[in-house]
Amino acid sequence: MSTHTYKKFENSEAGELPDKMTIYQDCMSEFNESPINAKRCRLLISRLLRLLAQGETFPENEATALFFSISKLFQHQNDSLRQAVYLAIKELSGISQDVLMATSSIMKDIQNGSDLVKPNAIRSLTAVLDESTAFSAERLLKSALVNKHPSISSAALCTSYNLLPIAEVTVKRFANETQEAVADLKSFPHRNLVGDYYPNSTFISQYHALGLLYQLKKNDKMALLKLIRQFSSNNALKNQLAKIELVKLVSELVTRDNQLFSDFQPLLMEWLSNKYESVQLETAKLVTNFAAHHSRLVSSELIASAITTLQSLLTVPRVSAKFAALRILNRISMVSPERIVVCNPELESLINDPNRNISTYAITTLLKTGTAKNIASLISTITKFIHDVSDDFKIIIIDAVRSLSLNFPNEWKTVLQFLIDVLKNGEGGFKFKNNVVEALIDLVTFIPQAKEMALENLCDFIEDCEFNEILVRILHLLGKEGPSTSNPSLYVRHIYNRVVLENSIIRSAAVIALSKFALTKNDPSLSDSIVSLLRRIANDPDDEVRDRATIALKFIESAKRDQDTESRKFILSTYSFDFASLESKLSSYISSNTDSFKTPFDVTSVRRLSDGDIKALDLKRKQGKFLKGTLEGSAESTPGIAEEEMLPERLDNSYVGPSVDEHELDMLSTKYAEELMAIDQVKDFGALVNSSKIVPLTEPEAEFVVRGVKHLFKDNVVFQFNITNTLTDTALEGVSVTCTPELEASSLQELFTISIDQLLPSAEAACYVAFKKTEEIVMESFLANLMFTTKEINPETNEPFAGDEGFQDEYDIDSISLNAGDYIKSSYVGDFATAFDGLPNEEVAVFNIKENISLQELVDRLVVNTSCLPLEDTQYAPSDSNSHTVKLFGKSALKGSKVALIIRLIKTSKGIAMKAQGRAEDAVLCSDLVNGLM
Amino acid sequence: MSRLSLYSVQAILILDNTGSRIHAKYYQSPHVAEDKRKGSLQSVKRQKEFEKQLAQKTHKQDSDILIFEDHLVFYKEYMDVTLYLLGSMDENEIVLQQAFSAFKDSLDLILNSGIDKKNIQEHYDMVLLAIDETVDNGIILETDPATIASRVTKPPSNEPQVSLDLDKGLLGAWGFAKSKLQERLQQSM
Repeated sequence: MSTHTYKKFENSEAGELPDKMTIYQDCMSEFNESPINAKRCRLLISRLLRLLAQGETFPENEATALFFSISKLFQHQNDSLRQAVYLAIKELSGISQDVLMATSSIMKDIQNGSDLVKPNAIRSLTAVLDESTAFSAERLLKSALVNKHPSISSAALCTSYNLLPIAEVTVKRFANETQEAVADLKSFPHRNLVGDYYPNSTFISQYHALGLLYQLKKNDKMALLKLIRQFSSNNALKNQLAKIELVKLVSELVTRDNQLFSDFQPLLMEWLSNKYESVQLETAKLVTNFAAHHSRLVSSELIASAITTLQSLLTVPRVSAKFAALRILNRISMVSPERIVVCNPELESLINDPNRNISTYAITTLLKTGTAKNIASLISTITKFIHDVSDDFKIIIIDAVRSLSLNFPNEWKTVLQFLIDVLKNGEGGFKFKNNVVEALIDLVTFIPQAKEMALENLCDFIEDCEFNEILVRILHLLGKEGPSTSNPSLYVRHIYNRVVLENSIIRSAAVIALSKFALTKNDPSLSDSIVSLLRRIANDPDDEVRDRATIALKFIESAKRDQDTESRKFILSTYSFDFASLESKLSSYISSNTDSFKTPFDVTSVRRLSDGDIKALDLKRKQGKFLKGTLEGSAESTPGIAEEEMLPERLDNSYVGPSVDEHELDMLSTKYAEELMAIDQVKDFGALVNSSKIVPLTEPEAEFVVRGVKHLFKDNVVFQFNITNTLTDTALEGVSVTCTPELEASSLQELFTISIDQLLPSAEAACYVAFKKTEEIVMESFLANLMFTTKEINPETNEPFAGDEGFQDEYDIDSISLNAGDYIKSSYVGDFATAFDGLPNEEVAVFNIKENISLQELVDRLVVNTSCLPLEDTQYAPSDSNSHTVKLFGKSALKGSKVALIIRLIKTSKGIAMKAQGRAEDAVLCSDLVNGLM
Repeated sequence: MSRLSLYSVQAILILDNTGSRIHAKYYQSPHVAEDKRKGSLQSVKRQKEFEKQLAQKTHKQDSDILIFEDHLVFYKEYMDVTLYLLGSMDENEIVLQQAFSAFKDSLDLILNSGIDKKNIQEHYDMVLLAIDETVDNGIILETDPATIASRVTKPPSNEPQVSLDLDKGLLGAWGFAKSKLQERLQQSM
């Protein structure tokens, strides 16, 4: 035997698998053999499973044949073969038919098999049972559930858990047994040991039982409270995972009912010093998470000790604990960095941790706790090691520095120095450089003082930049910002250099940038030079460059000749389109095409955004992103909200704070406009001016959940009520909302109501009420009432019973009011103080708020009520101070006139005193806004 | 799925140092309609892409834990294989760490000569059983490595079972042994 063939032989045994067909044939012949060769069969099963794990699959008939022959192996009583058979059954059940035929063999094993295979048999039930047969396992599962053997009990619990979606009724009957299983501490019997290892019970069946018990009782608040009472005392739970499950249960309950939190405080305090790190961690997660949303309900000692717990976790040797604690601290640092300043020494020592994930987290967290004082020293620390970390980490650090620069605009010099240093000296790929450039663009856009210096350095950078995309972006930025600087000719030189030296893509970008300098006000002499430069470019070998140059020349000429505003607009564009709505409009234009594109696309229907609007949106998005935090390029979702619940939750939350995902709101407003325009009567109102955020008008757990949206038109107002029917057995018909003005003399005239014909259980639909405005700005409250006819549902057809006349009913919902904020859109201004002083009409009002709310909650409410954009980072009230000033800026949705507000808040023992000072171009709007704040 | 869900493990992977799959098991909550399943890792093609990227990210980076594409990833790199466990972002890190250690340490126990590619491939059946005893459909089943190892059976022994029927007497036994012996001798010749 040569070495070559020997090696091949070895490979067929271990490394390379034989091909799929060979394995299939081998299996089919060997499994049908009699007597069964257990060793050979297990080897073949193992090969088969390896094949499946590689992602291979079999056609259904072959899989079924395999499944059938494997189930023949049940005749052989070898436990070791049996375990392999169960693995194969579980894997194959997904792709083969008639898996039910194995059920009786499995059930026989559950009754008479050895303790070793019983758990395997029980767990394989998940794979073979379906909706119609699940009940047949009831008796077996029930007795296995209370079995003294921990593995058997766990297997039964997990299987019941897995079967829940298809056999809820059956599993519900196990509630008592499950309860018993939580309390029962099961250990392994010491006789009949099969292997060489001594199993050591971790009492993990408690965890499985508790998880199942929660699913069975999740809608019963009292039962859950009882569970916590029962199992939190006397060390009833031995298993660590079960304890964590209990912590999560508390978390679930307090999220559902915030008021419960105070009852749990002592318990949470105790858990924070639990002997298990994981329990400490989970509790700290709960406390800090809850405090982020309802800081008023959490005692400061509890938060402090949660932070101390996290702090001590930072120094443990285990990487996962450190990592987890850092993740939580990082999350806190985004909302209330001042709380975790105490951890700074630990964080600083972690900067040099060998684990890069940890050191990066530590740095980003530190950067967020940074204050105006220590930024410089922090940045010098980073500068030391940024050059020797990988690109991914560099990007994270740059992102953190970037948000830092927006928070401390006065520190721009340090930040700018740092960014320029990494840009020029740092080695890195496209993504990294692009990020640095983006950070610089941010500086240019949001911090006026930094503009010229940043631009000059970007000019230097493009002299030797290897990435086309970045070059084009910088050229665009130079064209946009350059003409308004003090020395525009400097930039012209740099841009023209690109025209001489670079490829056609960059040349064409440079042409556009150059043309913008022709109309600059700061240096009129520049215009002629630009024209002569462009003339020269007009002979460029590339046609795109030539075309652009020629067009630019034409525009400049006509702009100069007769001050033609049209061509001026083309050169210095002042607005851009809302891309989301442009995209959806274009795609609907293409798909609904009926006359082979003879009607041109109507571009006026797309929302236009001015520069200010874009900046406002950008800043908001950044604030939102900052709040949610991004690490490793993936969106770190806020804890406590699983993905699936994210969407509705977000909509519900959209009124609580500025943490809304603005992008989704953009999409929403486009969606609203489309839905409204689909209604004939509304079409006559003209274009939609503004839509408010969603306002909940009922408790979220009410029978009928109603949420309102206010739509504003030039002369009309439309209220949209989104109604969800949460009843399971009743349909609503003829649903409408009546709105009665609270004041007798209303300046709104009701025009029409559009009702919902039929609302089936758990369906959502919208009804509309439209009004005509007699004055431009109307502020009024309406008492709203839901009117409908209920009809019982026939469970078989899911339709109401024929001939059922139903009951007329009505349902009170909260009143809906139009306030000044509905007339305002948020807007951005770089220099708030100057803008504020420049506005003509002033209005001052003083309020005294008796309600017991925190400053932060009040600030959130103000931001939402006024729909203005908080500037200079004033949307976060410091939790350690009793006073705060909020600066808000917005624009009238109707006319675009500017509004600015300075609101000073002082918290005393009697409540919160608030002094609002508003200035606006429109006197009526200003006084309405200021006086209607609360 | 609420946070209290027991389905906390999303996948267990064993990759070699080029990022090719030795074993991969992605867990989906059973009996949930196909269209309701979420996550981008549904198709095999996407999974393999993901594994390659993951391997690149973890190769020679001794950091044990990281966040990758919305998963918490725990891993341990050996000579020519890397073990991975993926969990959801909201899960308690220490719990997942324990599940991962259970998986890793139980392999250590059952693979006598240490964890490497050849050993895993040769004892693939035992590795699968160990994984199956650690995680069931995404539920952490056991966290004690010895308990897991005690439930993993070795392949049946080589000898075909020789069942002696004592009723036939010693002579019968002798005859049986003789025929067997002859068979063996003939075979070896």
